[in-house]
Amino acid sequence: MPRYLLTQSASFVVTLWAVLTLVFFAVRALPGDAATIMGGLDATEQQVEAMRERIGLARSLPAQYAAYFGGLLQADLGESLRERRPVTTVLLERLPVTLTLAGMAFVLSLLIGLGLGVLAGLRPGGAADRATLLFTTVALAIPEFWFGFLLILLFAVNLGWFPVLGLPPEGLTVGSSWNLILPAVTLAIPRAAQLARLARARVLEERSSDYVRTARSKGLLPNAVGRHIASNALPGVLPLLALELGGLLTGTIVVEQVFGLPGLGLTILGGISARDYPVVQGVTILAVTVYVLVNWLADLAQLVADPRLRAPT
Amino acid sequence: MKRRHSIHNLSLLALVALLPLLGGAGLAQTLTMAMSAQPDTLDPQVTAATAAFQVSKSIYDTLIEVDRAGVLVPALASSWAVSPDGLTYTFELVEATFHDGTAFGAEDVVATLDRIRSAETASPKVNEFRAIVSVAAQGPRTVVVTLSEPQPALLASLASGWGAILPSEKLAEGHDFGNQPVGTGPFSFASWTRDNAITLDANPDYYGGAPSVDQVVIRFVTDSAVQLQGLLTGEFDIIDTVAAADRPAVETNPALTLVREPSGLVLVAGLNTRRDYLSDVRVRQALNLGVDTAIVMEVAYSSGSQVGTFMEAGSPWYPDSVEPFPYDPEAARALLAEAGVPQGWTLDMVLPQPYEEHILAGQIVQDFLRDLGINAQIRIVEWGVWLSDTYGGPRNFDITVVGHTGKLDPSGRLTGLGDPRTNYTGLDDPKLAGIIATANITPDHAARQALYTEALERIHEQAPFIFFGTPDRVYARQANVEGFWMTPLLDSFDFRDAALE
Repeated sequence: MPRYLLTQSASFVVTLWAVLTLVFFAVRALPGDAATIMGGLDATEQQVEAMRERIGLARSLPAQYAAYFGGLLQADLGESLRERRPVTTVLLERLPVTLTLAGMAFVLSLLIGLGLGVLAGLRPGGAADRATLLFTTVALAIPEFWFGFLLILLFAVNLGWFPVLGLPPEGLTVGSSWNLILPAVTLAIPRAAQLARLARARVLEERSSDYVRTARSKGLLPNAVGRHIASNALPGVLPLLALELGGLLTGTIVVEQVFGLPGLGLTILGGISARDYPVVQGVTILAVTVYVLVNWLADLAQLVADPRLRAPT
Repeated sequence: MKRRHSIHNLSLLALVALLPLLGGAGLAQTLTMAMSAQPDTLDPQVTAATAAFQVSKSIYDTLIEVDRAGVLVPALASSWAVSPDGLTYTFELVEATFHDGTAFGAEDVVATLDRIRSAETASPKVNEFRAIVSVAAQGPRTVVVTLSEPQPALLASLASGWGAILPSEKLAEGHDFGNQPVGTGPFSFASWTRDNAITLDANPDYYGGAPSVDQVVIRFVTDSAVQLQGLLTGEFDIIDTVAAADRPAVETNPALTLVREPSGLVLVAGLNTRRDYLSDVRVRQALNLGVDTAIVMEVAYSSGSQVGTFMEAGSPWYPDSVEPFPYDPEAARALLAEAGVPQGWTLDMVLPQPYEEHILAGQIVQDFLRDLGINAQIRIVEWGVWLSDTYGGPRNFDITVVGHTGKLDPSGRLTGLGDPRTNYTGLDDPKLAGIIATANITPDHAARQALYTEALERIHEQAPFIFFGTPDRVYARQANVEGFWMTPLLDSFDFRDAALE
């Protein structure tokens, strides 16, 4: 176990460094920088150069690279070029919104996806299976931004159950997390559909295996057989679940824009269009960390859930 | 039946929750406005963004401001005098208090103007103050500004958002005005959650009298459809963008008011005068004749007036002598033939994302050019790329579409035209540059106007742009919102007299 942790941490550091280096140069390869954008149509070349000087963009690329990674070693993510405040502050302000949204969406997609998938798989061709097929086909075909608008129209404009804008002016509070239901549903539905498909396939696979036939032939009740099938089929879904969780982060970009939620998705979008390099890099660090962590947790969960994986060691 | 009931209860609950937003009698009155752009900073000296000045107008005051008619009127300066040679400006100041409790005085004006001129600040507006030699306090309520050469546009600069006065004490401390703005304005800064909202509290000690509403909340809503939905549900009192397709619906809704007034924008297709054929003035004129700009304005910008030169329609500086180019494709073809332009000439048309209206305008221009035998190939680029690669840097384009925002003084719009280094069309016209430079330092108003007229006539002839026109500024509000207005040309929000009836 300690060895496992060590190799995992090492691969995390290497992954983070590689992705961050890529992002570091990629955002700088985009034409234009924060100074040109802040200067807009009116600033002259000299003024833009002076602004570049002020926000620290006048240094050479290697110098910027060294300064940034040197800062990282001291847990300093740098300062936002546009907001003129520490990236850490920016991220800490935004993280709760995205985490809450992603958390709610994850739970929803889990409940809907696994529920439907198992139901459909246990009785292939039945009503539940056909309903699930319809649901997954439609859910995967609908673009998130359109579905989000539909929900706003129905629940916010017509029924008035929710405000049109995701959060109140003061941002995320305990009371206002209820407002994240619509965005969370928007985010969860296509993911639930994917999960449902996989879960159904895994259940079908298990259904035709020998032990199920044996269980059936010895007269085990269908419910009990179902439980057996589910507990064998579901660990196989875990890797996808981890991917899904990581994918939730990218999904929030679209959903946060539709619902105007001040989370990390809007932060990275705004960061890219303002060429706010440290902010883009900061969000990248978070995203990579979450991705790696989630995959790692999925590995662990699979070990726990599936004794066969533990046997050889 | 039971189920129905609970739904009713729910919506009732939601309604009750919304009540404070609607601002019933006896409750604190909050005015909520949806804004499509977001300020990059609230430090008025380090930005050029219209969105920043639209908001900062409520937090800071300027020495002078523009009234609803666009006339310069006293603000923090109760009066001012300009010496006959145009080199000395003397301002008398009102009594006012900053939001941090310190008293406003001459020292603050000195410190503010020193900061915007300092190289360290790197203000994108520094050139507007470059003629200033010194700013000195004469007693607590008088400031004398001395110039190296006359600069009649100085008053306009002082009346613009970047002329905002900051407290000298906080300036000395190196205070972070970008995130924690402190001014003398009608509203004090309460909070800013980025991409979400800025909250401003009424300043009861405002020198011009306390505002009627207790609080202003500015919500950042990029999507115009969401803005409209929020207006319909009553979540927003004012929205700053109404899509052309939604305007009839707002106009016919008795609970809403659509406001349509002239903007300060000049919309153009910029022509790269250093490229093949476009360096020929006949070709540029032909493009102006061959594009029906009335159609461009109507379809892409859904309203507005055409212009024939680089000045917004309705401006007192717009010369009576300049008419928009007529739509005359025959004359255009003749000029193109005369200039030796071959059939099938291909142009690189660069259009900036995310400005859908400019992209649409470009597509319409492309159609008209096709009729002239010109093949415009559209290339859509992101705004940052446009700024650094099209507008600036290597100027990689033959033709591009953009809107130039309003300026209180014509020098703000015209300076740089005629000098290929400082204008993206690359127009090299020393005579034009000379006329503009002289006008910029001519104190006598009539003489100055005559010079700008000459310049604008010359710009019409030289045609470095296809001149489209000036669109209307269209926004919407609840019918019960009174007294809100936007500054002419600058589009700043003025909530001082805003009230919810």
